[in-house]
Amino acid sequence: MPASQDIQGIIRRVAEIIIDELKLEDVTAETFSPDMDLVDELGIDSMDLATIALVLQDEYRVTIDEDDYPKLKTIRLISEYIKDKLPVRH
Amino acid sequence: MNSIAAPESSKPKFSELLAHPDVKARWEKVRKYFFLRESTYDMSNRCNIRCDGCYYYEGEKQFAREVGDVEAWRELMKSEKARGITYVVLAGAEPSLVPELLEVCYQTMPLGSIATNGFKKIPESVGYKLHISVWGNDETSLRIRKAKNLLKKQIENYENDPRAVFVYTFTRDNIDEVKEVTEELVAHNCRLTFNVFSAPVGYTGNLRHDDESLGRTRQSMIELLNQYPRHVLFSVYNAVAHTHPKGLHDLYSCSYPRQNPSQDIGLGRSFRQYRTDLNWDRSVACCVPDTDCVDCRHYAAGSAVVTARLYRHANSLAAFKSWLDYVDTYLAVWVMGYEKGENLCNEIIEPPQAAIS
Repeated sequence: MPASQDIQGIIRRVAEIIIDELKLEDVTAETFSPDMDLVDELGIDSMDLATIALVLQDEYRVTIDEDDYPKLKTIRLISEYIKDKLPVRH
Repeated sequence: MNSIAAPESSKPKFSELLAHPDVKARWEKVRKYFFLRESTYDMSNRCNIRCDGCYYYEGEKQFAREVGDVEAWRELMKSEKARGITYVVLAGAEPSLVPELLEVCYQTMPLGSIATNGFKKIPESVGYKLHISVWGNDETSLRIRKAKNLLKKQIENYENDPRAVFVYTFTRDNIDEVKEVTEELVAHNCRLTFNVFSAPVGYTGNLRHDDESLGRTRQSMIELLNQYPRHVLFSVYNAVAHTHPKGLHDLYSCSYPRQNPSQDIGLGRSFRQYRTDLNWDRSVACCVPDTDCVDCRHYAAGSAVVTARLYRHANSLAAFKSWLDYVDTYLAVWVMGYEKGENLCNEIIEPPQAAIS
């Protein structure tokens, strides 16, 4: 189960997953800018994004639609997308 | 307490798929190549044979001026590398006629492949994969390609060459010849894969497939795959994807720019198809331009289009294994030094979108 479902917690966890899946060595979850353009600045491609989406689906139990990939260009956008799909707390 | 939505009931978690050791090992093997970003390049507007149904001599690209200047090509390769391209496909009309350009490309861009008819040997110093097109036995080649003893010449040139993959293109009228051609290639220790003739726009000849010929093609592919697993680079899912009554675009939504308006990520963003004048046009850019998209079942198209649909195939263990077999095959066909593993799934799995598209 994800550690936190507030937006800051999701941002941190998304950063950790990207670092882990892409084996990034010169960045940490703390230093990873949530607004960095993952395609333009980090150079990730559709296969990387599909992998990250599958791992995030497992983690948060939300469906990330394939057609939405192009919108998910930063950690913040991914995190907001996930947060919008999470059920509202009662 | 948090209320968490249940996952789609029948769909396994990705981590559950990767919990299978054979799946995990294959996934880790193929994902190392996710960095590949391709573009394609017409090298010359000349060819030493003339085939019925040739894609190059359709449409406007055949009339582009030929740039033979090696420095211009060197600069092009440098600029391609700078914009993130890591893999080049050198094609049309016949690249073996311009070996000096192939050398220049290889010096700058070390990963790639060349589509050739195999009539003229490409120097061994060009370390790309070589895809040698075979359209039937020598009798058929003489009739369709006006080339005498073509298979014999191809084998003479590329027997025991680790770069070479023979690509047998199934047309509607050469299905029964594949067995003898495969036997001949295997006897000379040549490796092969399969392609399916996909009609150029406006093509009215008799090579175009129908449902019956696609069914027979699938059966032949699977029989030969089972009979020669070391020499035939293919999988059951390759056969399914390329012989389905629906074409690749209908099944997987082609991601090449010609059919994909999005420029955000993937092939729609980075892929270009350069003509011999070193220009390109996004509106017609795909791996085999001037193919009728409805009829497209090209091996080259599938290598990108099926591979890109990772997400859709992570919906069952059999589908994911089939996808891994497909990607493993594609890498063995296209990347020097990559060795294909044993296929993980020998069941016939319907493409994920086939039932609903």
